Amino acid sequence: MDMQIKKLLFVTKFEELGYDALKTLLSLRKAFLEHIVFLYVIERDQVAMQRGVGFKRDEAIRQKEAANIRFIDWAERLFVQGMEVGVYIQIGSLAAEVAKAVQKEEADLVVIGRSQKSTLEQFYSGSTVTELIRRLSVPVLVYKPAPELPFAMGKPFDRPLLATDWSPASLRAVDFLKSMKPLIQEVRVVHVVDQESIEGSSVMQAQKARKEAKQRLEEICARFESEGIPARSHVYVGDPKEEIEKALRECQATLSVLGSSAKTNWVERFIGSTPRHIAEKSFFPTLLIPPERRHNGG
Amino acid sequence: MGNRVLVVDDDPDVRLFTTTVLEENGYEPLEAENGEDGLQMIRAEQPDLVILDVLMPRQSGIRLYRELKTHAELKNVKVLIVSGITQKAFLRSQQALTEFGAAPVPEPEFYLEKPVEADVLADHIKKAIG
Repeated sequence: MDMQIKKLLFVTKFEELGYDALKTLLSLRKAFLEHIVFLYVIERDQVAMQRGVGFKRDEAIRQKEAANIRFIDWAERLFVQGMEVGVYIQIGSLAAEVAKAVQKEEADLVVIGRSQKSTLEQFYSGSTVTELIRRLSVPVLVYKPAPELPFAMGKPFDRPLLATDWSPASLRAVDFLKSMKPLIQEVRVVHVVDQESIEGSSVMQAQKARKEAKQRLEEICARFESEGIPARSHVYVGDPKEEIEKALRECQATLSVLGSSAKTNWVERFIGSTPRHIAEKSFFPTLLIPPERRHNGG
Repeated sequence: MGNRVLVVDDDPDVRLFTTTVLEENGYEPLEAENGEDGLQMIRAEQPDLVILDVLMPRQSGIRLYRELKTHAELKNVKVLIVSGITQKAFLRSQQALTEFGAAPVPEPEFYLEKPVEADVLADHIKKAIG
């Protein structure tokens, strides 16, 4: 399975995702990154036709020029490092424009940002994120500013934590992380046994569930280790949303990696799901891996 | 119509401005909106001059310029770069690619940093192809 990241689409509104974030992602060059495409979307409702106002052409030009100036500065810094750079500044809806750009550019990864102080919805509404995920067949990295933690965050792919629910997408995430081998110091693989699933069970049954999960996790670790990537497994019990966050801190992870089930329509599974919750609420950058499906952006 | 000039720029306003200047000065303009389409048009149309932006979708002017100048049949196509990217950054970028193992390319003969006045643009086109 070819999951190399050669081209990255960097979706920014500047305030939440700046050049410092981009710099940490340049480590992906070790894993084949050679082309970065910037996308700035002027939301249609900011410049749309309004009664008595019409199309706010001046506002559209102002935003376009401001974005262009920032992108020229970023591009110059990347060009001189031998990177290939492209730019889109579009008026429209964010999800639609991201999907279009992914398709036109055949991007391998989408990076979007989230502010430290606010939830994802304040920059990208929940429905936008859901729509974005629904439209894309490529991984989405929700980037976040470094949280205040008692350990150094490092670069996102230094110490990823793969939270698996055994779904095809979380197994696909294993292949994805294997392709990131030059960047990774160690992978932690975690499964959360849902508290509800073992309530009323005997101690013996609960222990059996833990043992089975641990065994499956060790099989995944073996796949990483066969590629020379150190890996350790952990079983947690409780609410997956809380336990994954706990695991991220305890493992001093730099990135959470989650897939989603392909048993039913992915977006239906995703709404209100653990991956979306982690993407929106967690302090840690989150990489969402979609299940394998048609190979295009739209 | 006179010499044919291909304008490669993703910004439709810039293409309109440039093609207007070209027409007013007796040239025949052609248009492409990114480096990939530009290269195809250069091969198909063999223009006398390419006016090339740098920062574009699909393929940048840096890569297109490199492709032209390392191509046996296309290396003599004249290029005027018109970009918001500084000439210094352009040259350092080409140097970086050469350091990564790519073939060296000559410096562009004509380079204008945006924004460009119509008369300055027309002067440079005239210097390039008469």
